[in-house]
Amino acid sequence: MPALEAVRPPLPKKPFNPTPVWLSGWLALLWLIVVDLDLSFETLMYGAQDIVEYFSRYSTPDFADLSRYVELLIQTLATALWGSALAFVVAVLLSPLAARNLTPNATVYRIARETLNFMRAMPDLLLALIFVAALGLGPLPGALALGIHTAGFLGKFFSESLERVDGGVYEAVSATGASRLQVVMYAGWPSILREALGYTLYIFDRNVRMAAVLGLVGAGGIGLALHDTLRMFNYNESAALILVILVTILIIDYLSTWLRGKLN
Amino acid sequence: MSSSRLCWPTPNGLPALGPTAVLAACVALLAISGPAVELDLMRLIAAIPRMIEFGGHLLVLPDWEYLPTLGVNMLQTLEMTFLATSIALVVSLPLGVLAAANASPHPMVFHITRNLLTLMRALPELVWALVFVSAVGLGPLPGIMALAFVTVGFMGKFFAESIEVIDLRQVEGVAAHGAGWLQLRTFAFFPQAFPDFVGTVMYILDHNLRAAAILGLVGAGGIGYDLVMAMRMFDYDRLLPIALSIYVVVTVLDRLSDRFRRRLI
Amino acid sequence: MSKIIIKDVAKRYANGFEALKGVSAEIPAGSFTVILGPSGAGKSTLLRTINGLETPTSGSVQIGEQPVTHASLRAVRAQVGMVFQHFNLVDRLSVMTNVLTGRLSHRSWLGSLLYLFQRGDMDIAHDALIRVGLTDKAWSRADKLSGGQQQRVGIARALAQQPRVILADEPVASLDPVTSEEIMGLLREICTRDGITIVVNLHQVELAKRFADRVIGLNEGVVVYDGVAGGLDRATLSRIYNRNGDQVDEQLETMLAYA
Repeated sequence: MPALEAVRPPLPKKPFNPTPVWLSGWLALLWLIVVDLDLSFETLMYGAQDIVEYFSRYSTPDFADLSRYVELLIQTLATALWGSALAFVVAVLLSPLAARNLTPNATVYRIARETLNFMRAMPDLLLALIFVAALGLGPLPGALALGIHTAGFLGKFFSESLERVDGGVYEAVSATGASRLQVVMYAGWPSILREALGYTLYIFDRNVRMAAVLGLVGAGGIGLALHDTLRMFNYNESAALILVILVTILIIDYLSTWLRGKLN
Repeated sequence: MSSSRLCWPTPNGLPALGPTAVLAACVALLAISGPAVELDLMRLIAAIPRMIEFGGHLLVLPDWEYLPTLGVNMLQTLEMTFLATSIALVVSLPLGVLAAANASPHPMVFHITRNLLTLMRALPELVWALVFVSAVGLGPLPGIMALAFVTVGFMGKFFAESIEVIDLRQVEGVAAHGAGWLQLRTFAFFPQAFPDFVGTVMYILDHNLRAAAILGLVGAGGIGYDLVMAMRMFDYDRLLPIALSIYVVVTVLDRLSDRFRRRLI
Repeated sequence: MSKIIIKDVAKRYANGFEALKGVSAEIPAGSFTVILGPSGAGKSTLLRTINGLETPTSGSVQIGEQPVTHASLRAVRAQVGMVFQHFNLVDRLSVMTNVLTGRLSHRSWLGSLLYLFQRGDMDIAHDALIRVGLTDKAWSRADKLSGGQQQRVGIARALAQQPRVILADEPVASLDPVTSEEIMGLLREICTRDGITIVVNLHQVELAKRFADRVIGLNEGVVVYDGVAGGLDRATLSRIYNRNGDQVDEQLETMLAYA
C-alpha cells in the first residue's frame, strides 16, 4: 500500500483550538485563588465529620415560638411586596427613557441607563444599612432598599423589552401625530405587557429571599430572629426558623412559577 | 353633551375586566400589608434631612491608608465569586443532565434531582453563610461553600431547562451510530445546550459577585465586613470608596460578560 | 383637501448614499397619485419626507399652507394618515383601540395615559370601521386578523385622524392579488368620496394604471416621469425601470406581465 500513501492529498492546516489554553488558564486561576485565600482542604476534610455532627444538631426543630415567626414572616412578605411595588413604579417611569428607540435624546438615554446601572450595582444590603441609619430599625428601610436596588434590574429588563419591539409599530403611532408619551403608552407597554409582568413576578420572588435576609442589618423580618438564635447556639429554634423560611420561599416560588406559566 | 363624556375603548365603555381585576388585587394587597411594613409618610419625610446630611458626610476625602486593604478585600470578593461559581459549574453539569427530563437515566432520578436542586436554591446565600460560619468558623471558606451550594441549585435548574429544549433529532443521529449513554450526552446534548449554558454562567457570575459582596456581613469573607463596619463606626471616609469600588467592579464585570457572551455565541 | 408641494428635496445618508437627488413635484389636492419605481429608487424615502419620518438634507415639503419642519411635525402628522406595508398595528390591542390611536393627537396627555377617550372619538372610530367594513371585528385582537383585514384596520386608523392627506407605503406588497385589489379600491373610494389627497408607493404597474390619476416615476432618486396614469407607455416604463442605463427589455416584458 505504499503507493496509496504517496498519493493522499494533505488536509488543510488544522485551525488553532484555544480550548486547552482556556481550560488550563481557568484551572491555574482556580489554583491561584485557593492559594491566595489560604483555603485548606484539610480543614474541610477534617471538618467534614464535624460538619455532619454539626448538622445533626438541627434535627429537632423547636416550633414553640411559631406565632411570632409567622408574624415576622408576614412582615418579610410585606417588605418584599412594597419593595417590588416601588421597583415597578420606578422602572416604569425610567425604562422608556433608557430604551434607544423611545428616548428623546442621547443625553437623557445615557443618564437613564447609568442611573439604572447604579441602582443595580449598589447591593441592597448597603442601601438597607443607609436607610436604617436614616429611618431607624424596622421593615420600612428594607422595603426602600429592595425597591431601589431591584428597580435597576426591572428597569433594565423593561427597557430591553421595549427596544425589541418592532420599530414600525412605534412609527405608526407616532405618524398619527401622537406625543412620545402616547407612543410609549399605546405601542410600547401593550406590546411587552406579558414579559413585563413575568419579570416583575421574578423580581418579587427574588425580593422575598432578600427580605428574609435584610433583617440581619435591622431592616426587620425574620433574618434578625435567625441571626439571634444562631448567635446563641439555639440550634433547635434556628432549625424551626430555617424551615419556616424555606417553606415560605418554596410556596412563593411555586405560586410565581404558576402565575408566570399562566401569563404565557 | 354625549360627545364629551369619557369612556374606555371597550364594548361597554368600562375598563377591561382582566387588567382592572389585577390592578385591584395588587392595590388591595398593598393596602393590607401597609401596616406590616410600618409605612409611615411622616417618618419618611422626617428622614429626608437625615439622608441629605448623610450624603454630605460621604463627601470627604477617602482614607488613603485604607485603600490597599480595600483592594485586597475586593480581590478576595472576586476570588470567592470565581471559585464558588467554578465549583458549582463542575457539579451542576452532571446534575443538570440528571435533572433534565430528556437526558435523565430514570424518572425517579429526575424527580429526586429536581427536588434536590429546588431545595438547594430555596434559601438565600446569606442564610447558608450564617450556618456555615457557625460550622467552620469565619473567613472566605464558609462564604464560598454557601455561594457554591446555592449556585448549584440555580445553575443545575437552568442547565436542565436548556437541555430539555434541544432538538432530539440530532441526538437520534448520534445514537444511530451506536453511541453510549455518556457519549450521547457529551456529543449530542451538550453542544446544543452550550450557548444557553454560557449565558447562564455569565448571568450567575454577575449575580454571585453581588451576593459575595455582602457575605462579609456575617463574617463569611469579602468586602461585606468592611462595609458594615464602616457604617457602624461612622467611617465615612471609607464608605464612599467601598461603595464606589463595588459599583466599578460590578459594572466592569457586567460589560465584560456582555462582550464575552457575544463573542462565544 | 390639501395639495403637497415638494421642492428640490434631496436626501443623503450618513454612509454617503444619495436616496433622493433633488426631487420636485406638486401633488394636487384630492388627487390619487402613485409613485412607481424599482426597489431602491427612493419611493419610500420620498413618501416619508412628506410626514417627516425622514428629514431631507436639502429642499422643503409643504402641505397646504403648512411647511413640514421639526417644530411642526406633530401638527403635520395629525393631518396626514399613513398606511404601512407590514400594517404596523399594535398586536395585543383590540382593533378598536388600534383605530383610536388615530385620535391620539386630539387627546389630552392625562386622558390618553388612562386609555380614556371621548364619546366623539369613539364615534369617529366607529365610522372609520364602518367605512372599511370591519365593525364585526371591532373587539378582536389585532393580530388575530388576516393580512387584508389588518391593512383595513390600518386604513381605518388613518381615517380616524380625519386627515387631509393619506400616505400609503407599499400597502399591498404583503397581500395576495385579490386582497390587493380590494385595498386599492378602498383607498380610491376614500379619495373620491372624501376628497382626501392620497399618495401611494407601488411597484405593481398594473395597479397604478388602474387606480391612479397621476403617476410619479422615480428611478435612482430622480423623477423620470410626472404625469397622468394614461401616459405610462413602454418608453416611459423603461425609463422608470431601467437600471444603470442598461436597456433590459426582456426583463421589462416579464415585469410588466407580472405587474
